[in-house]
Amino acid sequence: MLGLIKKDLLIMRNNLKYFLLMILVFAFFAKESNIIYFIPIFISIMIFITTFSYDDYNKWNTYAITLPLSREKIVLAKYITSFLLMIGTVLITFLLSFAIGTITHSFHFDEVFPMLFGGLFALVLLQSFMYPLIYQFGTEKGRIGLFVGVFAVSGLVGYLVNHVKINTTAFTHFIQFFNQYGILLLSIVMVILFVGSYFVSKRIYLKKEF
Amino acid sequence: MNDVIQINQLVKKYQNFQLGPLTVSMPKGMIIGLIGENGAGKTTFMKSMLGIIHPDSGEIQMKEEHVGVVLDQSFFPELLTANDIHSIMKDIYKTWDQTLFFNYLKRFKLPKNKIIKEMSKGMRKKLEIITALSHHPSLLVLDEPTSGLDPVVRNEVLDLFLEFIQDEQHTILFSTHITSDLEHISDYIIFLDQGQIVLQEERDVLQNDYGILKCGLKEFEQVDPKDYLYYKKGKYQCEMLVKEKHKIQKKYKNMVMDPITLEELMILTIKGVKSC
Repeated sequence: MLGLIKKDLLIMRNNLKYFLLMILVFAFFAKESNIIYFIPIFISIMIFITTFSYDDYNKWNTYAITLPLSREKIVLAKYITSFLLMIGTVLITFLLSFAIGTITHSFHFDEVFPMLFGGLFALVLLQSFMYPLIYQFGTEKGRIGLFVGVFAVSGLVGYLVNHVKINTTAFTHFIQFFNQYGILLLSIVMVILFVGSYFVSKRIYLKKEF
Repeated sequence: MNDVIQINQLVKKYQNFQLGPLTVSMPKGMIIGLIGENGAGKTTFMKSMLGIIHPDSGEIQMKEEHVGVVLDQSFFPELLTANDIHSIMKDIYKTWDQTLFFNYLKRFKLPKNKIIKEMSKGMRKKLEIITALSHHPSLLVLDEPTSGLDPVVRNEVLDLFLEFIQDEQHTILFSTHITSDLEHISDYIIFLDQGQIVLQEERDVLQNDYGILKCGLKEFEQVDPKDYLYYKKGKYQCEMLVKEKHKIQKKYKNMVMDPITLEELMILTIKGVKSC
């Protein structure tokens, strides 16, 4: 399985070089706006999706199944690589902004952490839905399906916020509760989503023919 | 006989095509040629064997667990180099032989650090084949490994297969529609047409027992339909595929009996008319 993880890292190697350079540039501007923390995380996943494209394009899966590895392992390797890439990106972004922030005396952990955590959560959410879609419909259709999904959900949320009257006391309670347990709660949700997504992808991949 | 692969009543259905039911056994230590037209089901057959597609029914038993595979299309990610392939495969195959792999690279003048995208078709194919060989498999499954290669590369590749088969424990299953590649190296032939096995026979038997009986159109009327398997009428003469050619030659002494090539066998079977 290590071989498969290596394979994806090697495919990404050129992109990753530019990506690291980009994070560096971003980290410099990070003090201007916090939204900048989201960007590297999203780009890392866009880069990772190219490994699915290459798999499709070079008919890699047909061959991978003939290797002495189970189909489960092939899917698991993807999830592990994706996980490693996410954690790596978050860590590097954090360390860089810490380094630069310390030099320029503008580093505030309380500001950076929620941003990175929020970015990570959005990303796990995105990937958890996207990978099963990619395994089911192929990279191109999976990607399109995801964009449609994101627009639909944001549209729906926008509509609800504008049209549904919110019970303010309940909402305040919720915010208070969230401030207290949010990180823990979201962490649990992330693990459940990502692991659940793996099992769904595995089911799809087991039945799939190439 | 000592069989490497045994397939029993294998069926795979598609909308416009059905493979099987196929019952085949493949003997160990041989080069087994799988021949047939494009679309005859060769790739479907191999993919079912390798578990890439799921057959609708039937049984596949492979005694050799250590299989080296070369598929009909290129399958290595094109951004990788031969060096990368080595560093991936050494973690996938416990039996990966680094020295052998790099010796092969040297022997075939394949660059270590050039990405596959920039390699010629011949180079890619060679890289795929030496990768399949470098983990010491006992069974090689090759889907059209020579198609699209120039004669020089084709020869190099066929030589590699012959080296591999020197070990009596080794077996090769080799599919192709270029029958001339198999003419000299195969020991056993499986012939697929429209998803069905038309013939499975040892090459020696094919050579010694099968033949083409040729005669004029008028004489054809006198030939007993039981004596031939397929026939094809031309403008002036008629060709018949016969088994037990020595016996039949004695019966029709005035007619010409030619030895058969795989190509003629394929054409006569596919284009010819089956005897009743």
